Amino acid sequence: MRNRVLDAMVALLLVGGALTPAGAQDPRIKTRLDATSEAAILAIVDSARAQGIPVEPLMEKVYEGIGKGADGPRIVIAVRAFAQEMASVHKVLGTVASAGEIKAAASAMHAGVPAVELGKMKKQGGLRRSLTLPFTVLADIVSRGVPVQTAANAVRFLVGAGAKDADLSTFQRNVRVDIEQGAPPAAAAETRAKGATAKPDSRPDEL
Amino acid sequence: MPDWQRSTLELIVEELQRPVLVDESFDRRVMVQVRRIYQRRRRGVAGIIGAAARITHHPVWAAAVAAGIVAIAALGVVRGRQRPPVAELSREPVQFVLVAPDARSVAVVGDFNDWGLNDSALVATNHEGVWSVTAPVPTGVHRYAYVVNGKDWVADPSAPRSAGDDFGMPSSVLVVEESTR
Repeated sequence: MRNRVLDAMVALLLVGGALTPAGAQDPRIKTRLDATSEAAILAIVDSARAQGIPVEPLMEKVYEGIGKGADGPRIVIAVRAFAQEMASVHKVLGTVASAGEIKAAASAMHAGVPAVELGKMKKQGGLRRSLTLPFTVLADIVSRGVPVQTAANAVRFLVGAGAKDADLSTFQRNVRVDIEQGAPPAAAAETRAKGATAKPDSRPDEL
Repeated sequence: MPDWQRSTLELIVEELQRPVLVDESFDRRVMVQVRRIYQRRRRGVAGIIGAAARITHHPVWAAAVAAGIVAIAALGVVRGRQRPPVAELSREPVQFVLVAPDARSVAVVGDFNDWGLNDSALVATNHEGVWSVTAPVPTGVHRYAYVVNGKDWVADPSAPRSAGDDFGMPSSVLVVEESTR
């Protein structure tokens, strides 16, 4: 009899531990969010984890919202949207994509880049080329007014031409400065992409 | 066919096909060895199982074993939560610089320090209006911003802009790669 009681207690403890949702013990959420928002966020995070999506960026979004003084419902909306974007890019990029690539690609998607464009870029970049920075640059120049297709073509051209991350950083900086000085965003991106790589086999006409 | 007319290969095949003659005690000696090995292994496995069974039958031992299992499971959960992805284990020093001649204070907050929750913001020092702070940041992609005078959120003008300003305040993007030093 005593053994049965003990068995039941152990089973309850183990099941209770296994069902504890992610972040439930995180005091940063517990003390700063209302109960409804907290529950909604934990459900989103658990759902993302079940799909194999990295959940740390979702928690970072929660902390960002709290840090910026947003209220619970607004944080829930932002986290849900971000989780959906991450799920979309995760599907397109596949399991070979790193957490950084998924996070950067989700930001690019948030800026308006279709998931299919991101998938094409990943396919072109191959397994070895990290596309974290290309996706970041893409999101940046789109948010500065470069049309999505022009921006995607420019970044894809650079990746295809073997541009390194340093080349892409220079490209992003030049496009930003050009736009700040009054250049039309599309013209700035196209012109700077042509000059961003000095590789002899690159063909600017492909743009 | 005489041997001198047959190929070497045929001779080898014939030799290999010839039955090996062993004495009558051979089978018995092999089986004795097999039984000896089997009994030795059985003693070891049965011994371990028997010992475990004796322990778990006792309520006190059962409680101890259960507590151990719960502790190991809890440790696993805690460690699993705290451990960052393998790719983001290393950290690289990053210098954050903001030119703000009129600022009274500048701090850096981002996803690498939980956006300044629990006083984790990086406090920049002032050099004639050029505010800077250097800190180790995990490799990976990060979003961050400067907080000027404790209330104004400012994106880094020299860094890529973050697309996801969901909370009405600008952020920048930082990509930290592992150095090849």
